[in-house]
Amino acid sequence: MNRGHLAFGMFLAACAAVGGQGLTPGQPAALGPTISGTDFSGSWRPNQLVTESQTAAGDLADFGGIPLNDAARLYALSWPASRQTVKQHQCMGYVTPYFWYAPGNYRIWEERDPFTQRLTAWRFYGQIAQGDRTVYMDGRPHPPAYAPHTFSGFSTGEYQGNTLTVTTTHLKRGWIKANGIPQSDAATVVEHFIRHGDMITILSVIDDPVYLSEPLSKASMVVRMAKDPDAWLYPCDDSEQIFGRKNDVVPNHLFGQNPYAREFADRRKIPLLAALGGAETMYPELGNALRDATAAENTAKARMVPSGPPAVSRASDPTPTDGEIHTMRVSGDVYLLAGDGANIAVQVGPQGAFVVDTGAGKLSDKVIAAIGRISARPIQFIVNTNFRPDHTGGNAQLQAAGADPSLTGTFFSMQFQGAGRGATIISQLNTQTRMTELKLPAPPSDTFVEDRRRKYHNGEAVEVFPQPNATTDGDSVVHFRRADVIVAGDVFSTTQYPNIDTQRGGSVQGTIQALNFILDRTVYIHDEDGGTLIIPGHGRVTDEWEVAEYRDMLVIVRDRVQSLIQSGATLQQVLAARPSADYDVRYGATKGPWTTAMFVEAVYTSLKTPPKAGTR
Amino acid sequence: MKRWLTFVSLLALLLTGMVSAHHSFSATYDTSKTATIEGKVVQFLLRNPHSFLHVAVTKDGKEQVWNIEWAAAGQLSGTIATSIRAGDPVTVNGNPARDPADLRLRMVNVRRTSDGANWGFAAGQFVN
Repeated sequence: MNRGHLAFGMFLAACAAVGGQGLTPGQPAALGPTISGTDFSGSWRPNQLVTESQTAAGDLADFGGIPLNDAARLYALSWPASRQTVKQHQCMGYVTPYFWYAPGNYRIWEERDPFTQRLTAWRFYGQIAQGDRTVYMDGRPHPPAYAPHTFSGFSTGEYQGNTLTVTTTHLKRGWIKANGIPQSDAATVVEHFIRHGDMITILSVIDDPVYLSEPLSKASMVVRMAKDPDAWLYPCDDSEQIFGRKNDVVPNHLFGQNPYAREFADRRKIPLLAALGGAETMYPELGNALRDATAAENTAKARMVPSGPPAVSRASDPTPTDGEIHTMRVSGDVYLLAGDGANIAVQVGPQGAFVVDTGAGKLSDKVIAAIGRISARPIQFIVNTNFRPDHTGGNAQLQAAGADPSLTGTFFSMQFQGAGRGATIISQLNTQTRMTELKLPAPPSDTFVEDRRRKYHNGEAVEVFPQPNATTDGDSVVHFRRADVIVAGDVFSTTQYPNIDTQRGGSVQGTIQALNFILDRTVYIHDEDGGTLIIPGHGRVTDEWEVAEYRDMLVIVRDRVQSLIQSGATLQQVLAARPSADYDVRYGATKGPWTTAMFVEAVYTSLKTPPKAGTR
Repeated sequence: MKRWLTFVSLLALLLTGMVSAHHSFSATYDTSKTATIEGKVVQFLLRNPHSFLHVAVTKDGKEQVWNIEWAAAGQLSGTIATSIRAGDPVTVNGNPARDPADLRLRMVNVRRTSDGANWGFAAGQFVN
């Protein structure tokens, strides 16, 4: 336990001792806990005194008191407010505890089982961004790691004396402060709700392995309103803001070139080292570091550019590794099958299963069995989104397990012994070509070049769109239109940098365009949450927010590499400059089949020698 | 004790500059400056979290479209939303964006020069 935790614990204990108006804590029961804790129901507004001292927004480069790590500092210094003009950033939702710093109203109410009157959940609703949180009190587990994340996250709660303690996971990347300090999608937030009459103190601890070097404690306070304010909506719509801006422009400051990096420090006459944050700015020993002003200034300046060895991802890979296939319904009749290499998507219905990618082929028997559990009909179609063995390794077995009835009994089919035997495999032509070159088993037989391949299958429009020169020269994305699920293949991953194969026609610019293609088809329900869902090639199911984040990352790294190239840097110099330093903690690797260095080299190569337009 | 006092003083300074807005105007705009543009309304977008007025300005023979951030939809619905039309000639005062390339202003006030109608000049008129 660090001192921050200790101090926070003492604060928590003090608040719980002086506050609280609840009844006797409840006893766990088979039917769920009886309601015995403090009642938080009502309409609430923020207490401005607390909100102003711990606000979510803040000034540019005002990071003091936050234990952000080097990557988070670089991320924040690279962020210009102009980023908010990008379509997907205009209606960004609020993660907790940022949720509690909004200027609008809050409503808290309870949900009870109608037959037992046991407390099943607390509900928190925030007017701004219309955040709608459910805190399950029935002891249910959190969802699997490959499930979608939201700005509200997934919360479970329990009473500890008079305090309601809520644990939230499955959060999206959000803000710790809206001046660029990120809170990652790997963060876990524990909130303690303590009621004192008409006020609730909310003490939050953010544990973010990606962007914080130690947990961050924050406090907010809401005040009960005697009367319902009748102001609960604030629907957000993005709009066209900067006319003529290309879709691959994401405003960012190059490392060391943020013109406002010391504005706050200078205006407030604070040492730059203190304003730039970090765990040491939480403790009195910061005074030692500031004693020598020149040394402190030099240390601060050194922190505004990457330093040290490359970092690796601190986010867990959500792909199951227990040797089993895990099935999750995504939307409509579309399912995710995870556990055998790349993600597998399956649409089911009366015509037969429509499968996108077949995994690595190590667990194909289990994949076929899993499909059999959700589909009464055999596999009819398979789409390969690229040639890679972790996407096509199960082709042979899944094809053999299926059948394409559209080919049997058709014209001439009786003259061909194998007509309709096995599922039909579809892909962009270059995927077939690459698989044939590499002698990979069961290459596709039904190809397309530049136009979408479309089918109306199981009562649903299914479109397969080629993505020229993305991670390869043969990528496709698949859109199940009724379920509104897009299967992205390797152009999008939540676990690593895009595997851009410049030897086989891949390019950074093509991958950016493929991500923008996806973003041109997505619609969120509200505030960048929900709506169109995306199954990435690797990692967890997302919606457009994570795709936009990934696009932003790729654009920003491209811009940095392009700038270095323009200044005459060699590949080795580009690698040494660590142009992805702020993202390595999320996507980076120094070992394995796809390292950060390989990714940066691919960006460099595709900028130095772009593939010819429409290369096939 | 002295170190703690130094630390507490520093922390107080760090916290002093914070503002309560969820959307940091000071990060987006240079609120110490005001710029004026004259042009014709391209469109008015009645939106949350903020509405926008697009104004075409001709400069050196070339047309630029400026983007003026205004108040929330609920604050501007009604008279303004039903009054402003594409083609209206306007003069807009606002705080310029920190990035000049964005051609953005945070609305201070706007006057329609054809009939003198204006917003943001009188008390109680919402501009942000």
